[in-house]
Amino acid sequence: MGRQIIQRLIISFPALIGVLFLCFVMMQVAPADPAAIIAGPDARQETIDAIRLDLGLDRPILVQFIEYIGRVIQGDLGRSIISNKAVSEELAQTIGPTLELMIGGLAMAIPLGILLGTLAAVKRGTLVDRAIMAVSVAGVSMPIFFIGLVLIQYVGFKWNLLPFTGRNGPFWDGGLSSMVLPALTLGSVLIGPIARLTRTAVLEVLGADFVRTARAKGLRESTVIVGHALRNALIPVVTLIGLQAAYLLGGAVVTETMFSWPGVGRLAVGAIISSDFPTAQGAIMILALAFLLINLIVDVLYVYLDPRMQR
Amino acid sequence: MSTTMDAAPAVPAAGGSSEMARPSVMRRIMRDKVAGGAALLLTIVVVAALFAEWVAPYDPYAINLLNVMAPPGGEHLLGTDSNGRDILSRLIYGARNTLMLGLVGVIFGGFFGGVLGILAAFYKRLDGWIMRLVDVLLAFPAILIGLSVAAIAGAGLTSVLIALVVATVPDVARVARGAAIGVMEQEFIEAGRALGVSDFTLIWRYLTLNCISTIFVFLTLRFGQIILIGSALSFLGMGAQPPTAELGMMAAQGRDFLFMAPHIATIPSLAIFVIVLCANLLGDAIRDVLDPRLQQ
Repeated sequence: MGRQIIQRLIISFPALIGVLFLCFVMMQVAPADPAAIIAGPDARQETIDAIRLDLGLDRPILVQFIEYIGRVIQGDLGRSIISNKAVSEELAQTIGPTLELMIGGLAMAIPLGILLGTLAAVKRGTLVDRAIMAVSVAGVSMPIFFIGLVLIQYVGFKWNLLPFTGRNGPFWDGGLSSMVLPALTLGSVLIGPIARLTRTAVLEVLGADFVRTARAKGLRESTVIVGHALRNALIPVVTLIGLQAAYLLGGAVVTETMFSWPGVGRLAVGAIISSDFPTAQGAIMILALAFLLINLIVDVLYVYLDPRMQR
Repeated sequence: MSTTMDAAPAVPAAGGSSEMARPSVMRRIMRDKVAGGAALLLTIVVVAALFAEWVAPYDPYAINLLNVMAPPGGEHLLGTDSNGRDILSRLIYGARNTLMLGLVGVIFGGFFGGVLGILAAFYKRLDGWIMRLVDVLLAFPAILIGLSVAAIAGAGLTSVLIALVVATVPDVARVARGAAIGVMEQEFIEAGRALGVSDFTLIWRYLTLNCISTIFVFLTLRFGQIILIGSALSFLGMGAQPPTAELGMMAAQGRDFLFMAPHIATIPSLAIFVIVLCANLLGDAIRDVLDPRLQQ
């Protein structure tokens, strides 16, 4: 299993370099000259040139890129133009809430999606099945902010059940209630696809020989479905979550902005709107790296869940 | 060139058989009641958006501060927004911009992705490079591409359009390459090569025409997703800027008045939902008819 993980790490290396390179290029083509920004608006040309030399901006692009990687590894991502704080410091403060939100979203979506999918498969062809599938098709077509707006409007504002702005600390320390609505919003994107795939996978497994054997042995129907069918149906579901990681990430950016959740996505959006280039670039880079990491974790999980992969 | 084209043998496979089946494709899609309904609704939306100037009851940009946040019903069918503008008219104009996001993403993303994928399948020495580029692009989820483009070029409809095209390219390239590799294994490619058919003719007449239906089906399935991503970017403020009517941005503007006048944000969001739902249902039906293999 260790070998698979190392192999997978090697495969993701070009993508990692690619992400860093695109972030680096972003900085190169940006309208603002970093030297001019540091020098300030009234600086003379000589000062700007001196800073340019100092920063190494006159050197070949490849050398600059390698130096950039060096700085990224050291956690030096520049300073925010707006707050003058180190970008790495801002990212360190926001990455936790973003991960928390994503995990919360998955914690809502996975059990609910699997439950609905299994139910639809077991009740195949009935009204329950059709209703669940209709809801899941509708869910895939729903803009995530629509779900967020409805939750804010009703659960948050009208019925006053749960907070809907900001984060009241980590979820284990009084922040759980403030996390429910954002996590539900984010998770809703995934419930439909998970339910759909679980249904297909369970249906497929229910027709397999070992399930017939299990039934012939006289096992209870619930044991057959949970212990035999569902367990094997989970493998494609894990893969799906990896494929949906892009939606999870995109959804997180929207959700954070809607619920004023202090995460990286909201930081990125705010930085772009206020032209805070170093912060925007750092936030985008962290999100892209997080995306690579999620895919990596999913692949490792896949090997773990499917013993056939462990050869 | 033309002599080569004339000398080329008739290309079999998809071309021949699907042309025979073509008259019934539309009918087969329409036989599905849900898909038929979706097609009808989508047609109405598209026609209204195309002829917005004639269909919209009011000027979508006419501000009336004496009649702000009017609820739906009465003089303004869907009410007015925080500036007193008619929401129905803005919805019709907004649908035009939103549909354009999806169409441009699908057409240009489909074109560039298709070219890359087919070239990768045809020229083995390009394959590694193109697919590595695709992998790097895939490492950037669409919304991050949108944020990056907006960071570099500034927020605006053009930035979102660029982002949607860039985000569509790698997915299409993969599908096109997969389809093209399947076609490359067919004997008529070898036959064409043996006859001395030029690379261009081989790529266009033998390869592209035989995988175009797979790419088309994939794009119809992507259309709704592209609209969702585009409107999310607009909602974040990366897309169309006020006063331009665009559904995602209209929802974002309505968010500020959610508790006083929820319809301002809800109606455009609902409109996006309906458009994407219809597109998805229709896409599913088209896939089932044209390319059942894609069904997973």
